[in-house]
Amino acid sequence: MGARLRKTAVAVFAAGVLASCASPAGTPALLRLRTAPAGPDTRLTLLAAPGLEINARLAPALELPNGTIVRFVTGRRTADSAYFAEPPSARLPGRHDRVRGTLRASVCRQDELVCHSVALRL
Amino acid sequence: MPRPALPVALTILAAAAGGYGLEPASRAQAQMLATRPRARVGAPAPAWRNASWLNTDHPLTLPELEGRVVLLNFWVFTCWNCTNTVPSLVDFDRKYRDQGLTLIGIHTPEFPPWAGEHDKANVEWALRKYGIEYPNAQDNDSKTWELYGIRYWPSFVLIDRRGNIRYEGYGEFHLNDGTYRTWDGRIQELLAE
Repeated sequence: MGARLRKTAVAVFAAGVLASCASPAGTPALLRLRTAPAGPDTRLTLLAAPGLEINARLAPALELPNGTIVRFVTGRRTADSAYFAEPPSARLPGRHDRVRGTLRASVCRQDELVCHSVALRL
Repeated sequence: MPRPALPVALTILAAAAGGYGLEPASRAQAQMLATRPRARVGAPAPAWRNASWLNTDHPLTLPELEGRVVLLNFWVFTCWNCTNTVPSLVDFDRKYRDQGLTLIGIHTPEFPPWAGEHDKANVEWALRKYGIEYPNAQDNDSKTWELYGIRYWPSFVLIDRRGNIRYEGYGEFHLNDGTYRTWDGRIQELLAE
């Protein structure tokens, strides 16, 4: 099991509350994880579908198979510091064509004023 | 007040998931979210069994609350929508506790323990910060969340004096806005019965 995340590619996954946020290819997606080289490491960036905000009080995190927690804490926040105003990112040591682990994020719908937890095994 | 769009969207997504070629884990999760049994309006409220409580000297049980109106608030201190709603809940508690309302916070973490939401000291800090004086149960295993079929933070369940679920809802609201007035009216209705 595992989404294949390639350098600079975007992996689309969905698990939740929104049917209307279809990607251009027609795939419904709550969040997208983008990976890109960053020097000797890999930059992970999390993008939310329109209408969703990523909770910054509970920063998204990737649990690696070895138990390490990689937190997405880099990124400008809203004035109230509740949400990320730009896609949060994290640096994963080393270059990775594929990312394995469990990605967790708290995403909030601004039209319904609710939050929903997303957990996905990569 | 009713907001049916979200559950409907969930169902649609779950139905569509197979067709979109989601990874197995996400497909399974989408199905779980759509089919999880929900506590029904009009049905007896399920009995929670949380062991860890704050703002009370003993774990509260549903049977001991018979004769009182009970408002459950499913929340977590890391949820902005939840904490923004707290002033309204504090207001309900102050206005109606003596008239027979028991407000109970069900603190259900979103993330695993490493995120800190499970720590009682952190919950205590949040209760102090937001001026919450009503009882709160730690729902660290999410069993009460699942028992009531809750999906979103924050959510609310209003239970009448006979122990039946009468109203459910979710989403942030604020002092004296329309949703606040709706819940206020519901509480008054059940207190008058």
